[in-house]
Amino acid sequence: MQRKFFNGTDAVWLAFLAALALAPLVPAFAANSFRMHVMILILLFAGMSQAWNIIGGYCGQVSFGHSVFFGIGAYGAGMAVVTYGGTPWPGVIIGMVLAAAVAVVISYPCFKLSGHYFAIATFAIVEIFNRGFLVWDWVGGALGLDYPLIEEGLANLMWHDSKTEYYYAALAIFIVTFGIVRWLEGHRFGYYMRAVREGQETAESLGVNSTAVKLAAMSLSAALAALCGAFFVQYNLRVDPPMVMSLDMSMKFVLITILGGSGTLAGPLLGAAVLIPLQEYTRAFWGGLGGGVDLIIFGLLIIIMVVKQPAGMIGILRSAGKFFSGKKSAERGGEAHVSS
Amino acid sequence: METFLQVLIDGMLSGMVYALVAAGLCLIWGVMDVINFAHGEYLMIAMYVSYWLGFLANVDPVVSIVASGAFIFILGALTYKLIIHYTIGKPPLAALLATFGLAMLLKNLCLNRFSPNFLILSDTWLGDKTFQLGNLIFPAPQLAAAILSLVVVGLVYAVISSTRFGWAVQATAMDRDAAELMGINTERVYILIFGIGGACVGIAGGIMPSYLSVHPEVGSLFGLIAFICVAMGGFGSIPGAFLAGILVGVVESVAGFYIAPVFKYIAVFGLYLAVVFLRPKGIFGW
Amino acid sequence: MTRGFSSLSRWIVFFAVICLLIGFGPGSAPAAEKVIKIGTLFPLTGPVASAGQRCQAAVQTAVEIINNRHPGIKVPLAKQAGIMNGYKIVLVHADSQGKPDVGKAEAERLFNQEGVWAIIGSYNSSVSKPASLVAERMKRIFMCGASSSAALTKRNLNFFFRLAPTDETESIEFVDALQWMNKKKNARIKTIGVIYENTEFGKHAAEEAKKAAAHGGFRVVADVPFSPGATNLNSEVQTLKKSNPDAVFGAVLGADYSLWVRTMKQSNWLPKAALNYCSGYQDPVIMKQLGGDAEYFMGATAYSPQFAGLMPAVAQVEKIFKTKTGGVPFDGDSIQEAVAMLVLAQAIDKAGSLDPDKVAKTLHANTWESPLSLGGKVAFQKGGQNKLAKSILTQIQKNEYKRIYPEKMSDSTIVLPMRPWAKR
Repeated sequence: MQRKFFNGTDAVWLAFLAALALAPLVPAFAANSFRMHVMILILLFAGMSQAWNIIGGYCGQVSFGHSVFFGIGAYGAGMAVVTYGGTPWPGVIIGMVLAAAVAVVISYPCFKLSGHYFAIATFAIVEIFNRGFLVWDWVGGALGLDYPLIEEGLANLMWHDSKTEYYYAALAIFIVTFGIVRWLEGHRFGYYMRAVREGQETAESLGVNSTAVKLAAMSLSAALAALCGAFFVQYNLRVDPPMVMSLDMSMKFVLITILGGSGTLAGPLLGAAVLIPLQEYTRAFWGGLGGGVDLIIFGLLIIIMVVKQPAGMIGILRSAGKFFSGKKSAERGGEAHVSS
Repeated sequence: METFLQVLIDGMLSGMVYALVAAGLCLIWGVMDVINFAHGEYLMIAMYVSYWLGFLANVDPVVSIVASGAFIFILGALTYKLIIHYTIGKPPLAALLATFGLAMLLKNLCLNRFSPNFLILSDTWLGDKTFQLGNLIFPAPQLAAAILSLVVVGLVYAVISSTRFGWAVQATAMDRDAAELMGINTERVYILIFGIGGACVGIAGGIMPSYLSVHPEVGSLFGLIAFICVAMGGFGSIPGAFLAGILVGVVESVAGFYIAPVFKYIAVFGLYLAVVFLRPKGIFGW
Repeated sequence: MTRGFSSLSRWIVFFAVICLLIGFGPGSAPAAEKVIKIGTLFPLTGPVASAGQRCQAAVQTAVEIINNRHPGIKVPLAKQAGIMNGYKIVLVHADSQGKPDVGKAEAERLFNQEGVWAIIGSYNSSVSKPASLVAERMKRIFMCGASSSAALTKRNLNFFFRLAPTDETESIEFVDALQWMNKKKNARIKTIGVIYENTEFGKHAAEEAKKAAAHGGFRVVADVPFSPGATNLNSEVQTLKKSNPDAVFGAVLGADYSLWVRTMKQSNWLPKAALNYCSGYQDPVIMKQLGGDAEYFMGATAYSPQFAGLMPAVAQVEKIFKTKTGGVPFDGDSIQEAVAMLVLAQAIDKAGSLDPDKVAKTLHANTWESPLSLGGKVAFQKGGQNKLAKSILTQIQKNEYKRIYPEKMSDSTIVLPMRPWAKR
């Protein structure tokens, strides 16, 4: 995993980003607002999952608590607009800072727990925050916060008719999170994180302060999650606790990253690019039938994916890469022909 | 004082039901290190089994527990054979995610087949009855579920701790490869453990239609509380899960009454955090 | 690894193809020229799916009546086939899952991709709010049948119409009824307890209840919110029992309702009167299954099968509805969705145009015949609330919803106080 400052893969990434940036200029693409919606969600959840990936993938601390930070960001923006009648921007910043602070406070004791105890503790934290926000009237309680109809534009981070601006905003978030993680990969701190993941004791013996590394990774991850949450509420124009601070939401981040390939830069994008369209299109196609056909299929596909390819989509890409470069037939003696 | 005792009794009774639900999860988790996310859905399906038996064939839930236990035993074994088997030795989250998918599948399959209506069995043997001790009230269905919980948890514990099969299970839990070398068919142990874990929750679900209505979402919160109980009790410790279940029930009831009902689950989850911050491996963990 | 790759990749290709087909393929509209597409947006999955699916069936029932000739049904538009000289209505269904973000996305998809002309939805107030804003911005009509939050129609939207009475009017009706009980029945009710699920719906109902109670001179002694989907309601009922209010207002849905009733029975406690907002009490399936335990509870009801005397036209419509729900009759929520569809169709027919602006103005300007509504008529005030929305206070007696208040619409005398559990 040696990463140079700039390499061939980065060139591919830049080309990909350029393509994404130009995509809305293609009329056939931009005209279909549902496709735009799916693209926005892919970018948002790729960014969000990448934020999770920092602590969950690179640092090896599987947290199911990220919807708390997502929610704090959402409430930051929501309260700035709804409660204080201003622009969301100060709320976004405050939300990010607050999320990082909360992350440090609640993670510090949790990091003493190992394995499943840690995972269940993060479950419990989500539930506490969810139910706490439901009864906390200052943040709207169970009623939630509903946006009034206010002027569109960058100042209010809100657009009414067109989705193109939302698309670019989501792309910006995507670039920020992926950029930070790409930078981390080549940076000293990134190596610390991976060292902690591979073995806390070993890392300590090499002079890495594992608690400090984990806390720093967690707060960075939480701040980015809050940024995504703020976008989510600006996009939906409403926030209440079950919408943002729920185990379902947390599971989504984990699912996307693991299915894509955790601890890899491309993983969250791959996961989101598969899972989000799957979720949206199955619902669009079968949701109206009632009876949850879309969710049955969605659940079945998750099972199939995990059972067939636990290493994630990145594993598929790698084996595909090997397949095309011809290495595989040499290694495996043409086993590929057997499968049909 | 009387009110306090009543609150305590309510808490103990619901706590023992939690313990019964958690025992199955604890077993699977302890032996295989797998978090079964579909555990609440097992409970829901067991409730449907018991409901339909009662509705179509007039079988009382007290009798149906045999059928629902057996049904979930098979379902559990199938889950292992078809899904979990493929995730053993893979990244640790694989099984969790697969069972998350399974939970989604089962929940919506039931929604699809049985409609989302809330189904209630009326006129069950236990349904309306209560026992009174002075001014204290013991509702019969919860009392029966609590006794059942004691029996089943005790039985499972006895089997695990003092039969040849139980020793095989313990050996497998400690080190699968070593157990395999000792001639234990660990694959069979895994299937049986998943089945027995399912049967526990199947029995719990079987009796519940006496007092709870059945619908596709009914298992979610039970599943979550079961996770809390198991982790609080300590990894794979059945007495721990049992104690934690009762503790959760009592805290829920006391906090719900003396603080405010909306805080009862906050108190339960807070209790878990408090316990693991003091004892990072749970009450009975080491 | 290789096998995994190839078989999984086949799956992925398969689904990618399906996705592309949906995304790029032609819309699902039939080729008929004279078609008006209407979207429905209900929670077909999730905790309130049972209510959502009934609401969807109600809209389908209304459309069947509108599109075909039904000489036997005494509802406007039943005698003709289609509206505006042969336009038929085609429904496009969507699932909100009871989640605001999903509801908003689906509303956008219905308008933009499916090309629906208007939406009927969405049961949950929390979904109706963002989804109706989507419609408002696109200047399309959003008909809301059953969402009860009073805030919905206080936003002064121009394209939003709501049929059901709000929790505000229901609360006032409850308090009026209590005063009537005190005056006429010597009930001596002074204190009130409120039990409600801690969601948008319950919280809102409770706030309105407390407001109305204060206004009517009653003291609220117990305020008991609970988390929906509870595993038990012991502490909630114990809290009620301890403060022992004379009357209880309940906003308790679905499974929680039957758990609440049964827990009260186990704790051997009852108030003098229990008055319920929608769903749990209204749900005919739950009422039947609770059997004797459901007796003597009261609630606001916009429809129940026993209202046949007041609303003779419903019986024929209900026959069609029952074929879609497996025999479950209308309840107060679902029938409002049928009314929403019918009134919208009447308005299109009257306006003679498919210009949403014109139809919205027509909806506002007229009073609509509506044999499926309790008042028999529907008219909207600014903000879109149906100002003629009515509900009757009913009490369950011998497994039937008996009308008890207002007195002039009643068909039975109230049983007050509720008969204690031991004497049933």
